[in-house]
Amino acid sequence: MTRALLIARREYLAYARTVGFWLSLLALPFFAVLGGAIPILMQRAEPVHMVAMVEAPSDESGALSEGVRRALDEARARRTAEALRTAALSEAGLDGVEAVRRVTEEQGEAAGLAELRRVAPRAGAAYSPPRESIVLVDTPTELQALAEADNARERVAPWFSGDRLLADGEQLDAVVILNRQDDGAPSAVVWAARATDRTVENAVRDALAEVNRREALTTAGVDPGLIRDVDRFRPDVQMFSPASASGGQVALRDSLPGIIGFALGFLLWSLVVTGASMLMNSVMEEKANKVLEVLLSSASSTEILAGKVLGVAALTGTVLLAWGALGAAGFAALIPEIGGDVATVLLKDGLLLYLFAYLAGGYLMYAVIFAAIGAFCETPREAQTLIGPIMMILIAPLLVMQIAMRNPDATVVKVMSWIPFFTPFLMSARAPSGPPLFEILGTIAGMLVTVAAITWLAGRAFRAGALSGVKLEWKSLGRVLKRDR
Amino acid sequence: MGPALALENVSKRYGAFQAVQDLSFAVPKGSICGFLGPNGAGKTSTIRMILGLAPVTAGRITILGANDGRKVRDRLGFLPEERGLYRKMTPVDAIAFFAGLKGVPLGEGRRRARVMLEAQGLGASANKKMKDLSKGMAQKVQLIAALAHEPEFVILDEPFSGLDPVNQQGLEVVIREIAANGATVLFSTHVMQHAERLCDKVVLIAGGRKAFEGTVDEARATTPRFLELEGGIPADAVAALPGVASVDIDGQRIRAALKPGASGHDALKAAFVQGLDVRTFQMREPTLHDAFIGLTGADPDQVEARDGEAAR
Repeated sequence: MTRALLIARREYLAYARTVGFWLSLLALPFFAVLGGAIPILMQRAEPVHMVAMVEAPSDESGALSEGVRRALDEARARRTAEALRTAALSEAGLDGVEAVRRVTEEQGEAAGLAELRRVAPRAGAAYSPPRESIVLVDTPTELQALAEADNARERVAPWFSGDRLLADGEQLDAVVILNRQDDGAPSAVVWAARATDRTVENAVRDALAEVNRREALTTAGVDPGLIRDVDRFRPDVQMFSPASASGGQVALRDSLPGIIGFALGFLLWSLVVTGASMLMNSVMEEKANKVLEVLLSSASSTEILAGKVLGVAALTGTVLLAWGALGAAGFAALIPEIGGDVATVLLKDGLLLYLFAYLAGGYLMYAVIFAAIGAFCETPREAQTLIGPIMMILIAPLLVMQIAMRNPDATVVKVMSWIPFFTPFLMSARAPSGPPLFEILGTIAGMLVTVAAITWLAGRAFRAGALSGVKLEWKSLGRVLKRDR
Repeated sequence: MGPALALENVSKRYGAFQAVQDLSFAVPKGSICGFLGPNGAGKTSTIRMILGLAPVTAGRITILGANDGRKVRDRLGFLPEERGLYRKMTPVDAIAFFAGLKGVPLGEGRRRARVMLEAQGLGASANKKMKDLSKGMAQKVQLIAALAHEPEFVILDEPFSGLDPVNQQGLEVVIREIAANGATVLFSTHVMQHAERLCDKVVLIAGGRKAFEGTVDEARATTPRFLELEGGIPADAVAALPGVASVDIDGQRIRAALKPGASGHDALKAAFVQGLDVRTFQMREPTLHDAFIGLTGADPDQVEARDGEAAR
């Protein structure tokens, strides 16, 4: 056994000493952060539109531009309130979100921000209001009569090209000509600097719809104050379930097991695929450069296979620990509330123990298969044809796991959990949602039996492949297995 | 004291292909044995069976008292024909790793690696990566990796191939040292000169069968010695000289093969007495190469064309 440990040690160091390993180790957290940051970056990158509004002569009262202005303001206020609520979520939970929403709606943005700072000090300090994509500017004198002009194109062009600038030196992005149709319905013509940018058009369409709604309701004799109250009304609906974590009211915590399960299943899947591929490449390299032959004269094929599987397992463990530590640190530093809930879910009912069993079983099952394939191949091209079908099998649990996230008890998920090749991934995804014990134990037992059978088979294939110059194809696999003694 | 290695009627068959047939020979302890034959003769198959990497189809192998090479793995050293080492490891680490597999503690393995690398003139490269070494250096490192655990029995498969003449000579020195330290060496080669200089014993194999087993001198004695003559001499006059078995004309030169036990001296003396026009003369002792051709009818430098070669 010391030989196997020696081989494991060499395998571990061979990877752990490379820069690439540490880079890929950090790649996942890095991309996770990047993935979270992209929507924010995209929002930041959105340009501000300087928009001038022109009243058509048919609506000299100014009611139309006044209505559009108010509708745009209200839309902005809604976005701000949403941003304030979202900011509160990570630190103050659903109750904090509700408090911030109520204060913002009743007392305005400034009071909402103060409430956010109270319930979630860190998020409050880091909060910055959402950027406005549309800023209404004073309409330049030359454009004020645009609605009657028949040469609108010639008039707006210099403002869009930058030949004419606004008083504060900014460039104009769009001019909106408001009008009323014959039946009095609001309409608009939008001149925009860029033909592909629909932001202003969409904002004006929404604003005009709002204007139309109010006008129609007011015309029908509805009190404007009533309209405002109706708009603001948020029904107070609370969800209860005996299955929830608190035994009563359903909270964010209750959807956590599904999300955590999906994350765990996916994590497990990537670890298994990465680990197994690493193993295959390592065996393939040794086969190609004949090191395998020297190894075989020094250790049994079982020792070699065990050593290599163990070495890569240790690597996988290192990666898992590193990610776990990074994740725990990230939760603790940024969102300790949710971090606590996640920890509660993970530490409940020996979940970590099941997860470990699934990780070990899943890794072993695929690791030995990939290693055996590696023993028959000297080039990645040869390996590709053999790996293809296995990868197709491996894709299936990824798809089913997405179903499991929303509905861990769906029949398709339950049934597929019993297929040993899918068990590790699907059961990891389901485990945090607490499936029945007989399913956990049954699937683990099925998985272990399969692991034992596969290990035995792959071990023989590995030995046969390591010693022969035979190129393996699926049809000759059986023959090789039979011939080997 | 029994031999270090004994093969008794060993056969190896891959499907329809008979790689080795009814092969028997023994290697005494502490000797250097050459295992000779053209490429494809069955040398590597035999070596794999000796090591226990491949099962015998029939027959029996005894090595260091065990009936399976795998049982005495730690006491064997093996250098395979096709060489390869971990490209990203340093020679010291690689040698210590392979010695470690044979039971040498890592620290001790590293110490031995440094000493042996130094002795082979590779001290400066001890901590470079393998991929940065020249091919000759890498081969030396691999040889050291096969020897660092001080094996009792060393098996080298085509150890001289790919080495330049200087390194070939260095390897001959190393092989002699191994034997001088009491270990047994079996090496395969298709180049007869090395075997001629090194071996206490040679085993010739062709077509999977043993063609000869014995000392180099015994092998050479199976082939006639030659008397080479140049001058205006009729071939039939040479053929009539005492002790001459047959005559072969090669341009100006006449090669007269001598009968077993016959003296070249007598033939030459008769030629002078008869007044033949001998301008130059030379006695040619047969080489192992000649002996090989004489024993097997095959040239060891040629690859044996046998069906199923790929299965080897």
